[in-house]
Amino acid sequence: MDFAVDPADARFRDDLRALLDGTLPDWWRGMFVDDPRAIPFTREFCRALAAREWLTLAWPAEHGGAGASAWTQAVLREEMWAAEEPRGPQYMNLNYIGPLLMRYGTPTQRARFLPPMARGEVIWCQGFSEPDAGSDLASLRTRARLVEDHFLVDGTKIWTSYADAPADWCLLLARSELAADRHDGISVFLVDMTTPGISVRPIDTMAGPHEFNEVTFESVAVPRDCLLGEAGRGWELVAAGLTFERVGIARYARAARVLEHLVTHANESGQSRDPRVRARLAELRASCEAARLLAYRAVSLQARGVVPTVEASIARIHATRLEQEVGHAGLELLGPLGLLRSGDPVAPLAGEVQRHFVRNIPTTVAAGTLEIQKNIVARRGLGLPRET
Amino acid sequence: MDLTWSDEQEMLADAAAAFVRRECPPERVRAIEASDGGHDQPLWDAMAELGWCGLALPVEHGGSGRGVLEVTVLAEQLGRGAVPSPLLDSTALAALPIAWAGSDAQRARLLPALAAGRSIGTLAVLEPGMTDAWGDVSVPGGTRISGQKLLVPWAHVADVLLVASSSGLYLLEAARTAWDSVSHDAFAGEPLFAVTLLDACTEPLGSPERPAGPETTHRVLDTAAVVRLAYAVGAAEACLDLAVRHASQRVQFGRPIGTFQAVAHRCVDMRVEIDACRYLAFQAAWSLEREDRAAPLEVTAALTYARGALRRVFLDAHQVHGASGFSTESDLHLFTRRLTEFEITFASSRRHPDLLATAMGLS
Repeated sequence: MDFAVDPADARFRDDLRALLDGTLPDWWRGMFVDDPRAIPFTREFCRALAAREWLTLAWPAEHGGAGASAWTQAVLREEMWAAEEPRGPQYMNLNYIGPLLMRYGTPTQRARFLPPMARGEVIWCQGFSEPDAGSDLASLRTRARLVEDHFLVDGTKIWTSYADAPADWCLLLARSELAADRHDGISVFLVDMTTPGISVRPIDTMAGPHEFNEVTFESVAVPRDCLLGEAGRGWELVAAGLTFERVGIARYARAARVLEHLVTHANESGQSRDPRVRARLAELRASCEAARLLAYRAVSLQARGVVPTVEASIARIHATRLEQEVGHAGLELLGPLGLLRSGDPVAPLAGEVQRHFVRNIPTTVAAGTLEIQKNIVARRGLGLPRET
Repeated sequence: MDLTWSDEQEMLADAAAAFVRRECPPERVRAIEASDGGHDQPLWDAMAELGWCGLALPVEHGGSGRGVLEVTVLAEQLGRGAVPSPLLDSTALAALPIAWAGSDAQRARLLPALAAGRSIGTLAVLEPGMTDAWGDVSVPGGTRISGQKLLVPWAHVADVLLVASSSGLYLLEAARTAWDSVSHDAFAGEPLFAVTLLDACTEPLGSPERPAGPETTHRVLDTAAVVRLAYAVGAAEACLDLAVRHASQRVQFGRPIGTFQAVAHRCVDMRVEIDACRYLAFQAAWSLEREDRAAPLEVTAALTYARGALRRVFLDAHQVHGASGFSTESDLHLFTRRLTEFEITFASSRRHPDLLATAMGLS
């Protein structure tokens, strides 16, 4: 066990902060805002990272990466998430769509799809959930039928982030064959979003527009060479992808950043001497520390080549709850003015806490609900019996 | 950065786990607790034989020269078995402080026996009216010391007693002076005593010119708190084991209750909190061992987090067990008492969250 931070990683963190300080515009509040400058800025930012070889920092050199350690990558995602993820939609490429292609893609697929990701030029979205298939993802109904040299895809995907960015490609889950076991027969497709038959309908949310979309596929022709991995074996591929994704976001880093704002507010408003306020903020700080260590445990296993399925879910359960708790504590601290959003000139902390609170209402739903995460830990981690 | 155990740490943990399973199953814990004095000499001798009394003590005084982190690795395994033993207290509350702050003569006189397990040490801090072990004590130091100390663990078998006084740590040796120990009636995991000192003969820890001051007491308390936290994490892990076993075997409505998500998810909540406490403890131990500047705050963060978290864990275990967990026929109470004791004695201090708040920048 070694808790020492590599000095090179500490320097990298300083360099990243300097870049962020110099690059993030004043108006930057993340990608899910009603501001037409946001998504173009994320593209520009990714190109700037790519120019420094920091975009695909953790990818192996053979795929255009810098082969950095899992720990350097952890620094990157902490700083990115704390700054509201200026890589925008492309963080998904780097965290798990790229790695899935490396692991399951053919040489042709890798040569075709990885370089544009490494240059920061392509936005992907993921087509997983459906109107009737959320937590029970294996019940998905989108069909892919093999017709001569291509698959014909029909179905509807929902809660698809970034589809209206617009996304260039979609990592799509569809049922390609009917099988005895419901987890069999699902395949993963790489779908060009400009293909005829795809329509994108944005869904408005409490956090503002551009968060979600519904994407329909009507007789969409997907070439055979855009099938990722073996036909019908997509479930295990997605399970691996979701594990990468669960440790891929340093939620505790954002929670810690918001907590820093709350300290400022408590000092300015004179609440910092209230023992209850002090105790509450201290507890949340300790919880950020715990969340960081739980994530680091999963990273330690990853660094040893183990896929930390259970540990990633434990880290996510803890971190998502923490993000929500920080928002709740923030609203309590701000009082009635906590209702005011960033557009209001007297909003405390520029509406930051209000936004953090609302944005995190669905945090325990996205990428596998809290309950699904707990099922994973209960069965795979604790060995509790399955329902018969 | 690497949060997995080294091979050496893994070997120590495995050896300790095997020892606890073999030598100290729940029946023996119950027997020891029911015995007069609650101290099992053969068990103590067996642990001394393994070199655990001197694990973190200097090699020149008969120890193995390992660090606080190793002691926490061992502590976690002892906690898993609710092992009733003065081992951890003797190490963290007496032997380590003597190694850190004792004079050369004190180290040479006391450490070899402590490292070999020929003597047992403990520390007296709390006094009537104190609500926090880190708070101000009022017993005055001096070559003669008088006053009352409460909740002193293992005072009845201790050969060396450190006393926290208003002017620092003082040393009492059973071979030279006497103290009066009266057993408390406590909901705890180990024997606790009210100690009365009447003009007892003492010397300051360290040289008379440079006695160990309150900063040493704080370091001792920080270290002891982290070692106890690791023991508590082990005890919490045992609570989870028992809960999972019960949930897998207990059948209601025609199926094991662990198939109900309301029960299963409670067990998962326990898993998350235990793991969180565990790595907070290891991180703090790692920093304490290096005398890192971050250590006191990491201790503070660990205790601030653990205080509510571990209570939720054992209460969840009780909920999963239903009425059977309240019965002392179940082993659960062995762990509940230890976790309660840890929380109340080390994690309940309001000082920790407040220190952390100040460190966060709250004015």
